Amino acid sequence: MGVSNIPIKIEGLTKRFGKVMAVDRIDLVIQQGEFLVLLGPSGCGKTTLLRCIAGLEEPDEGKIVIGENTVFFAERGIAVPPGERQVGMVFQSYALWPHMTAYENIAFGLKLKKMAREKIPGRVAQVLRDLGMEGLEDRYPFELSGGQQQRVALARLLATKPPVFLMDEPLSNLDARLRLDMRSELKRLHHDSGATTVYVTHDQTEALTMATRVAVMNEGRIQQVGAPSEIYQKPMKLFVAEFIGMPRINLLSAQPVSTDGGLWFQVDDFRLPAAWLPSQEEVILAIRPEDISILLHSEPDTVEFKVYGVLPAGPEVFVHVVRGDVRLVVRETHQLELAMDQPIWVRIDPSAINLYNKASGQLMSNEGGDKG
Amino acid sequence: MSLEIVSSGLRSGSAERWLNYLRRRAKSPEFIIALLLVVALSFLVLVPVFNLTSRTLSWTESDARISPDAVPGRFTLNHWQRLLFGRLFMRMLWEPLSHTLVTGGIAAGIALLLGSMLAWLVTRTNLPGRGWLRSVLYLPFIIPAFALAIAWETLFKSPLAGGRPGVFQSLFGVVPPTWLSYGPVPIIITMIVHFYPFAFILVSGALVAVDAQLEEGARLLGASNWMIIRKIIFPMITPALLSAFVLTFGRTVGTFAIPYFLGGPVRYDTLSTMIFRNLSMGLDVNGYILAIILILLTSLVLYLNSRLLGGSSRRFEIIGGKGFKTNITSLGQWRWPIFLLVGAFTLIAVVLPIGLLAYQSLMLVDGCWELDNLTLHYWLGRVDPDLAFGSPGLFRNAVVLGGAWNSIRLAVLGSFICAMLGVLIGYFVVRNSRSWISRFLDQVSFLPFLFPAIAFGAMYLSMFAVQRGPIPALYGTFTLLVLVSVIHRLPYSTRTGASAVAQIGQELEETAELQGASWLKRFYHIVLPLARSGVVSGMMLTFIGIMRELAAIILLYTPSTRVLMTVAYRFAEEDIPQLSNALILLVTVITILGQLVVWRLGQGRLARLQERKL
Repeated sequence: MGVSNIPIKIEGLTKRFGKVMAVDRIDLVIQQGEFLVLLGPSGCGKTTLLRCIAGLEEPDEGKIVIGENTVFFAERGIAVPPGERQVGMVFQSYALWPHMTAYENIAFGLKLKKMAREKIPGRVAQVLRDLGMEGLEDRYPFELSGGQQQRVALARLLATKPPVFLMDEPLSNLDARLRLDMRSELKRLHHDSGATTVYVTHDQTEALTMATRVAVMNEGRIQQVGAPSEIYQKPMKLFVAEFIGMPRINLLSAQPVSTDGGLWFQVDDFRLPAAWLPSQEEVILAIRPEDISILLHSEPDTVEFKVYGVLPAGPEVFVHVVRGDVRLVVRETHQLELAMDQPIWVRIDPSAINLYNKASGQLMSNEGGDKG
Repeated sequence: MSLEIVSSGLRSGSAERWLNYLRRRAKSPEFIIALLLVVALSFLVLVPVFNLTSRTLSWTESDARISPDAVPGRFTLNHWQRLLFGRLFMRMLWEPLSHTLVTGGIAAGIALLLGSMLAWLVTRTNLPGRGWLRSVLYLPFIIPAFALAIAWETLFKSPLAGGRPGVFQSLFGVVPPTWLSYGPVPIIITMIVHFYPFAFILVSGALVAVDAQLEEGARLLGASNWMIIRKIIFPMITPALLSAFVLTFGRTVGTFAIPYFLGGPVRYDTLSTMIFRNLSMGLDVNGYILAIILILLTSLVLYLNSRLLGGSSRRFEIIGGKGFKTNITSLGQWRWPIFLLVGAFTLIAVVLPIGLLAYQSLMLVDGCWELDNLTLHYWLGRVDPDLAFGSPGLFRNAVVLGGAWNSIRLAVLGSFICAMLGVLIGYFVVRNSRSWISRFLDQVSFLPFLFPAIAFGAMYLSMFAVQRGPIPALYGTFTLLVLVSVIHRLPYSTRTGASAVAQIGQELEETAELQGASWLKRFYHIVLPLARSGVVSGMMLTFIGIMRELAAIILLYTPSTRVLMTVAYRFAEEDIPQLSNALILLVTVITILGQLVVWRLGQGRLARLQERKL
């Protein structure tokens, strides 16, 4: 389709609701044509940020530039109304007007844009066709299934060809299977239209599968922005490490120990081999479940644990192991016959461990000091 | 409008930010309309109250003739002092006040008892016919209080009031005792009949809301029915019961027609009738002071109510048919006897008054209750100099027809304007509820709820009687009646409008906004169509309310602006009971028909709402 697309620049954006800082001095550049996902737990400010871009909320400070237009600039009192920002939006609830047919829902925006009357039916038919919804123009929303309603909402978005798509958890109301199907549909849509897309979700799997870049948010601040793989492999902050990953990452409190035999991390009553040691006295180790292996016999550099629970999940199995106060979740892809309370040995690849500063929660690297 | 933006603009001292902000505001139709509403409500609600109060606190021209200190317009506490501490106190204030409290209190108490019992029977037992009984039992509330008062008078008329014998006297040949004909006893009884439906609705709502599972838990543990009522249900609905009492009391305190017709002949006055007397006699300031006291009393009552329910109580819920599953207690062998009792009660409370009115309207010679005395003259007859002082029958009577035309005009115009205002104000109250405009509109649109109808009339009389500065003299105009009717019903239409708008998800409007629709387009294409059915029901109720209103306009009407109810009132005063009864009957029938339409609409709307659910 090749629609023009435009970048979005956000500077120093702040929005308060009473005493609560919903959006706290956010700086973000969204490249033209990218699919940026705002990811975070409830209340982190992602929806507020999206609504500020749309113009549905008026921020207290900051600047938003969409394409060439400064649509918001607090200092100079500029706030362009939503209808003039060249953005289209899909809501979680679809927000289809219940007293209008699918056709009328889609045509509404076209009429407002003063499209020639004869051209409107053609355009409506085209977007419905693109979404596989021919023949449903005259249905009312209550006559459509959830998935169909969502497609009408998307058709409504596409009809006016905005260069920016904003989506607020559009898949949350669908059942699990439909959700998975729609993810690839949306990716397809993004590819075909080329529009700059900002997408809000609390589902990290959705974020990782769909985004070109993910911005992880918490308490109104952006914790990290990057490609999905980057966010997953090298989370910069403890919060991001904990939030991303299903099941969640294993976190251990450890003291670095240096002996003649090598470098170790002292955890509780056992030691793990270390690739390098930081200068702090105490650090947090972060280990993904898939970076731990379970062995049935003792071997060098392994630690004995006890099986706490086994959760087979189709192609993989999650094993919860325990030793004293320390609990680990392990993901294994080959079949293991394990019994409750069975002793097993755990091996962790030292290079797969991410170290976090206990005080600041920042990722540490062995170039000396913390990673920014 | 965000105060934070304003204040941060001031802090950063950026003139440009401020200016651009104001410029945006000035161009936004949403803001302009909201501001206009604020101005309108200030003028129509706040200013009259202020005016009323200030009139009681300043010297009038007539005072200047009596007292040498009086400087017209200057501040004085003299009026209040005279009423509270002077010799007027007993007759003008204390007696009416105590009568108001006594009759209101007793009536509310018994109405509550009656209403609660009926509520329990209808919602929680297997009483036969309880489906339609619920509607029928509500009727005495719809019948104008005027009608009930007249019906009682018809039964127990006494020579004290002049005129011909009532039913009692005709049947038994003796004059009924005065305490039975007029005074506190008939007032209380009539009030009970008129207001028990109010308590009935409130208590029904509370009973229906009791979660069946709470009782089932107790039942599983072996509790008996009686124990469940005592220990579980009763404590749960006690706040609702107290609230029902307080709200019913609040209503009884403000009634006018009942104490006027049934207390007047024996000079038994309540605050509301005393207000009327003072204002009819030209003792305006006294009337205004009493009106303020009445308003304070009602406000106190409502304040008590909100304390009982812990806030937000003014959004008291009339039955919404929530459809919770409730446990049904079987009445066993008492089923049919109780049904007969309730049926008998319904006959007395509903059928009897209407029947009496109808019968009397057909009597050629008042006082003669024989069947051969019946005639349709008062309905359809032409002029007969011997009858009714020459007034023709209802449907040929120019005065009546003029009144009917005025009533219809008033009700249609008033209900339409009220509904539009209600949905607009409701819109601003619901959307952007944090702004000062929204809170102002919310509070001020509710204020008229505190003013009993007669006090309303007094207020508007005080404000518009003569030209004062930019305020025109509207006394005697149809416009004034429309204004009063609209503002009087504004609390209800605002609540209806707000709830209709609240059903419309904000996102539905936001999507339109994103598509580029202006506020006006959004309101017209999205909000109004979706709010329509809720607003229409509200409009019907307002229509009915205006049709049967007497107290609010009794001080404000003139021969050219008379409406059906005031015509009926005049016929009653002139002692033409047949005509006044016929007219009251007509209004009652219209009112009941209107209510039936509302109920039908409500069912239709529910069905359509289910359809529309996403």
